[in-house]
Formats: sequence, C-alpha cells, structure tokens
Amino acid sequence: MSCKPGELCYEGVKRRRALAVLGLMALIFVALSAVSFLDSRGQAVPSAIEYAGLDAVAGKRVFQAYNCMGCHTIVGNGAYLGPDLTNLYEHTGPAWLAAFLPSAGSWPTNGAVKLQLQDKAVATESGVETIEAYLEKYPAAAERIARRGGQSSHMPNLPFSRQEVYELIAFLKYTSAMNTEGWPPVPKVNGLTFPAATPMPVAVQEAALAPAETSIAAPVSAAAHGAELAEANGCTACHAPTTEKLVGPGWAGLYGSTVKLADGSSVVVDDAYLTEKILKPDAKLVEGYEPGVMPSFAELLDADQIADVVTYIRSLGGK
Amino acid sequence: MFRIEYQTQRLSLRFFVVMLVLFFFQTAFGLLLSAQHIDPALLAGTLNFNVIRTQHLNLAIFWILCGFIGTILFVGPLLSKRELAAPWLIKFLFYALLAIVAWNLCTQILAQKGIAGWWMGQPMLQEGLEYLEAGRVADVFILVGFAILCYVVLRTFPPVSQWNEIHWGLGLGVLALTLVWVFGMFFVERLDVQEYFRWYVVHYWVEGVWEVIHISLVGFLLVLLFKADVKSVGYAVFWGVSLVWLSGLIGNAHHYFWIGTPEFWQFWGSLFSALEPLPLIFCFWHIYLDAHQDGKPILNMPAFAFLLGSVVLEQVGAGILGFTMTFALTNVWSHGTWVTVSHAHLALFGTFGMLGLAAAYYAIPIMRGAANFDQRLGKLAFWLVFTGILGLGFAFAIGGTVQVYVYRTLGLDWFGGDVAPAMLFAKAMVPLFGIVFTAGVGLLTYDLLTLGLREEPAAPGEASYPVAAGWGRPLSGWETGIWLLAMWFFGGVITLGLLSFNLDTVRQGSALLPYVMGGVGYPGLLLATLFFVWRFLHSLEARGHAHLTPFAGVPAPAGTT
Repeated sequence: MSCKPGELCYEGVKRRRALAVLGLMALIFVALSAVSFLDSRGQAVPSAIEYAGLDAVAGKRVFQAYNCMGCHTIVGNGAYLGPDLTNLYEHTGPAWLAAFLPSAGSWPTNGAVKLQLQDKAVATESGVETIEAYLEKYPAAAERIARRGGQSSHMPNLPFSRQEVYELIAFLKYTSAMNTEGWPPVPKVNGLTFPAATPMPVAVQEAALAPAETSIAAPVSAAAHGAELAEANGCTACHAPTTEKLVGPGWAGLYGSTVKLADGSSVVVDDAYLTEKILKPDAKLVEGYEPGVMPSFAELLDADQIADVVTYIRSLGGK
Repeated sequence: MFRIEYQTQRLSLRFFVVMLVLFFFQTAFGLLLSAQHIDPALLAGTLNFNVIRTQHLNLAIFWILCGFIGTILFVGPLLSKRELAAPWLIKFLFYALLAIVAWNLCTQILAQKGIAGWWMGQPMLQEGLEYLEAGRVADVFILVGFAILCYVVLRTFPPVSQWNEIHWGLGLGVLALTLVWVFGMFFVERLDVQEYFRWYVVHYWVEGVWEVIHISLVGFLLVLLFKADVKSVGYAVFWGVSLVWLSGLIGNAHHYFWIGTPEFWQFWGSLFSALEPLPLIFCFWHIYLDAHQDGKPILNMPAFAFLLGSVVLEQVGAGILGFTMTFALTNVWSHGTWVTVSHAHLALFGTFGMLGLAAAYYAIPIMRGAANFDQRLGKLAFWLVFTGILGLGFAFAIGGTVQVYVYRTLGLDWFGGDVAPAMLFAKAMVPLFGIVFTAGVGLLTYDLLTLGLREEPAAPGEASYPVAAGWGRPLSGWETGIWLLAMWFFGGVITLGLLSFNLDTVRQGSALLPYVMGGVGYPGLLLATLFFVWRFLHSLEARGHAHLTPFAGVPAPAGTT
C-alpha cells in the first residue's frame, strides 16, 4: 500500500475522507456516551445509596484510599490476587462483611457474624434478626463460615475504623445494586458438589466438617472453655494468643500488665478491666486504638462465659 | 551512521539511562509480585501486594514514557534538521521526572494506612485507581511535564506547512498525550462514570496516542536503519495512524461491556475493536517490506531485533490476543481474570517497551561513538527478554483459562482454598519465566549502560554469521504470510476456546473443550511467534555472510554444495 515516489496517490482526497469518517465515528461515540449516563436508564448511583446512614460516595473514597483495586477487581477491573468485589454485598450480606473487614486477616466465625447481627442497624440492613435466618438468606456467608471460618485469609489486616468499615459496606451495597449487564455470569453448577469435579483438598475437608454446629461436650476447664468461646465468637480474629498485635493486642503477657489509656491515665489489666472491655469496649480506650473497632459482646456472652474467657486470657500469662 | 549530527541529540542519553534503571526495578517488582502470588503472606503488612503492584504499573508507564521521550529527542533534530528548542527545559523535564518518580514511590505506600490526602474533594497523595494510582499532586506535575514535551517537540519541528506524516504523527501524538491525561484528574462519584473516563486515559493512551507515537517512531527508525524512503514510510505511517484511530476510537467500547454502561456497547465494542488488529498487520507487513527492500546486512542487529520484537509482539499481544477477548461473548469470561494479564504483558511491554529498547540500542552506540560495539550481549539479552515475555504470556494465559473455569464456571470464589491452588502450576511458571526475563533485563541494562565505555573484545569474524540456507535462507513474502496466517490460526483456536465457555457442556462442569483449545492455541501462537522471529533474524544475519562472500547471495544449484 506504500506510495512509491513519483506515483500519484491522491493523498489529499484520501486524507479528507479519512478525517470525515473519523469525525463521524467521534459523533457516534459521543452520542452513545451521552445516552449511557441518562437518569432514565435507572442505573444505581452512589449518592442515593446509604448503609446505616453512611452514603456510598464516602465508601468509594475509602475504597480508593486503601487502593483496594491493587489486589481485587471491581466490575472486573483491577488486580487478580483476590476475588471480584462487585456482588460481594449481595452474596454475603452486611453482617458477614462487618465481621470480616475489621480483622481481614482471618475469616469470621459463626459467632463473629452473630455478634454483628446484635447491632440493630446491621440487622435492619440484613433484613433478618437471627444468625440462622441470615445464613439461609446469604448462602455465600454460610459457605464462608462453614469452610473458612476461623482460618487465616490471604488479606492483611488493614487499619479500618468502624466508620470506614460501614462506608465500605455502603460502597459494596452500591456496586451490588449496579446493573452490569449480566456480568459476572452466574454459574450453572455448584462447584463443590457437582459430580465431575475433582474436589479440591479443602472441599473434601469441608464435606467432613459439614455439620459445623456440633455441640461441645463438657469442657475440661474454665480456661479451655474460654479458649473455645474466644475461637467461636471470633475474638481470635483480632487477638493472637501470643504477644503479636493483629488488630487488637495479643493476649500473651497481657494480664497484669499496665496499659496506658487515651486520656493519659493508666490501668492494670485485671479481671474487672477485661470484663468491662468485653462488655463496653470503648469505656476505657487504650492509647493508639480507634474507638468502635471492637464490638461489645454484652448480648452474646453471659457472665459465666465472660468469666471463662477472662480466665483463658489470664492463663496466657502475665504478672 | 555512527555519528551525531546535532549536539542536542545527546540530551536523549539521560532519558535512556533512566529508562533502563526504572525498567530494571519494574521487573524486580514484577518478580516480587509473582512470589507474593504464590505466598500471599510474603511481606504482607510491610509492603502489601497492592503497593508493589502499583509501582509495577507506574514504573512501566514511566519507563515507557522515558523511552518515548528519549527517542523523540534523538530523532527530533533529524526530523527538523536543526537543534532541539529550549534544551534547558529538557534538562528541567529530566529532573522533574526523577522527582515525580521518587514522590510517587513514597506516597503509594500510604495506601496501607488508607491515607489518600483528601483535599478539596481530591486525593492529593494517591488515588487507588488501576494505572492512575498517582495522586493529584503528581498528576499536575505530570501534566506540566507533558506540556513541556509538547512545547519542545512543536518548537523544534519546522513550520506546519513543511510537515510530513512522521511530523504529523509525532506532533498529534504528544498533543493527545497531554490532552487525554486530563481525563484522569478528577474524583468521580459514580463507579461507571469513573471507569468510563479511566479508560479514556488508559485505552486512548495506549491505542490512540502511544500507538501513534509508536507507528511514527517505528517508521522513522526504519528510515534510519534501512535508509528506507521517507515518502513511502510516511504513506504507511498515515494509513497506520488512520486505521488506529478509525478502529480504536469506538474500539474503546470493549472496556464498556460490564462496567455499568448499557448493553449496546457490546455491539459497538465487539465490532470495532475486532478491527483494531488491522493497523498492526499493516505495520507488521511494513517491517518485512522495509527489511527486504535490499539485501544489505543489518549494521545494528540488537536495535533491529528489538524493533522487530516490538512490531511482532504488537501483532501477537495486542492484535491477536486482544482480538480473542474483544467479543462480548468471549470477554464475559476473560474479563477480570489472568487471561487479560497475558494480553496486557505482551502488548504493553512488547509493543512499547521493546520500541524504547530498540531506540536505545540504536542511539546509545552512536552517542558513545562505539561503531564496532560487540553485538552479542545485546542479541543474547533480546532472546532472554523475548523468550521470557512469551513464557510469561503463556503462564498467564494458562492460569487464566484455569481461573475462568474454576472461578466463573464452577463459581468457587475462595482464592486461598480453591482458585489459587488450581492455578498453582501456572503461578509457579510466572517466576520461572520471570527469572529468564529478569536475566535478560539485567544483561541489556549492563550492556547499554557500559556500551562504548568498557573494554571491547575483538569484533567477531565471518564465522559468526549463519549460512544463508535452512533457517538462514532469505525470507520471502509468501513465507512471512504463512507465518502470520499460522499465528492467526492459533489465535482463532484461542478465540473458539474462550467462546466454548458458553457451551452447555462446559457450563455443566466439563473443562475439556476450553482446556484443549487453550492448551493448543496459546503454546501454538507463542511458539509460532518465537520461531518466526528466530527465522526472520537468522535470515537477516545470514546477509552478513552474503555480504562478505560475493557469490553466496545467489542460490547455489542443487547438488553443488
């Protein structure tokens, strides 16, 4: 197609024609774009979507500030280390997200999600009151609790405040509500159970564990019972049994130590302090920690159970 | 050839040097990412995956731009037949570029703490949008940098009335580079609108602007390497640019399938972006024509190897692999998986990265006055990098095919428990080929940085030229066409493989069809590419032989050798 020197190529005419076609295409593109964002399409908009009184625009700012797209995709764009987040809210529901996000390093347990449902706002947004109804309404949450609950996830713990967690949930509520023209395609088989699949090692394990809610036979000691309660109620998602800080302080050596509070005073960690912490986490805020990150377990644990958890923490050492 | 005509051409050297350093670090970050994919706990909490990935993407953009700037500064005076305008501005641009890269390195880490630096509703420090992670402060300075580049290029060029197609291509290219960047400089509330404008920057940069600069620079490098006629190359540049814009303008619609924009984009995107390979086929064909207009030996083999690599990978990575996932019916599966990663690596590094390296291999020996430089290191580096990137493309494509099946068809969404273990084989291949690639990068960085400065061994003699028979015999147009056809055949197999995910048998859980077709298509395509480039370069190298022995150019009668 090259024009040899001295050949007549009618370049001027061709150029004008190419420009005219290009102009026509630009017009088509602009027209299509204009139609795409008309209100009459009924596409979800973040400013109109609220979660627990926080709007999705604020959530989008949090989403960008933590560069979530650097590991996850959203509407399929982003990185491929973690799953796509577009429809996560719709699948797992807000209580699971509220339990997961503050301590993203591990998968929430049944108790941790149950705890979130105690929050009236979360229960209202979920549309259910009890954990049983919740798991029925959100099968993806049930799958996550049954197969992954208590195990470590591949996501690092991020320093989300309570408000940021709720804002993120608002943003995910918005993306779930978006019409993405049928993407991602809905699977026609259940990948865990369909006959031709070679089950992944974890899937096999899950099948063995299927009746997850086995009742526990009489525990040997108060400390052991406390350890079980801490695991089942999701305490260990944030608190390691070592001195390592996950989200909250590690429990090893905590008992009997002196901690500095945000108001400048200090307090010795004893039974009364730990009990109060479990019931009213923000009553004595420790320096360096955000209020609202730790939930209250008042509705979930009775006095005996709290005493067992405290006994367990005491057993992990300290003065 | 080995002489500087204009002193300001030397300003390009510093940009080439920075390009090489950034390229090396970008590759190292990539290798680290591949390790994190295998063990996500690696450096988690210290340097999270997203922070490193951001640098991997941003450094890629920075060093490719460095390559463009270096090349433009080197060819600018030759195109204009006068010195560059405002050399002090170019020096300023250089230091500004270093400052922006350093600034961006520091601010991106803040994503781990969720600090975006919100001020007046804008994220000043970092904004967490793929490819456009740089915060608003850096955005503004980058815009100023582009404006400086525009000013220098347009002031250096002769008056518009004297422009040929290469002037037009480069002039429009740098202007559009600046203009399109502006669309990424706003915080947008709606996700669909944000993605709509984000692709203005990403797609139009790559397919509208970089491609135009690429075509113009490839054209002019061909003029320089082969003394090809400016007029005939110019005509090709004009049609290349026209086809890029005619297909790419609406072709952008292939990014608007699933982001919350209406369904009609699926029609427009599928139709026009399927045309996007046309200019690439055109460019591919032209490099064949220009390399074969006479039988003279290639004086600078590494430069030509990278130029050929650039045009061929543009064809394979951008053209063919892009084509396979450009239809709504295949894209619905490939979207959001490693299948796209394969395309992105081959297209972005292949097309634009290799062009910068080709230009560096052309310009640095001239600027250092090393006419008889030892080309063996450069050729070896080319093969390491070329094999490495094809291998990476293969690993990503295979991993992506598995990912589509496990994640989309079976609906398993536990990355730690289900998806990642299924992809583990492919994930392990990535650092394997990554090491080959990194070795090549290290070698070419060393070679180019020290070229003309280190002690040269004696130039290899005639024995190093391959004989002009077998793989070394002259390459005919027919044969090139067959190779191209073979590549497209395998591209077709890949497309059908992706399409087969729509079949009911596959949706009921049988992975046979997509796995077999992917397993044939991807290795077929990438091996055809590898052997074609081998064949092309081998036949050109054999010319050195032909040049030294006058009769070898004529095919000997059968039975006499």
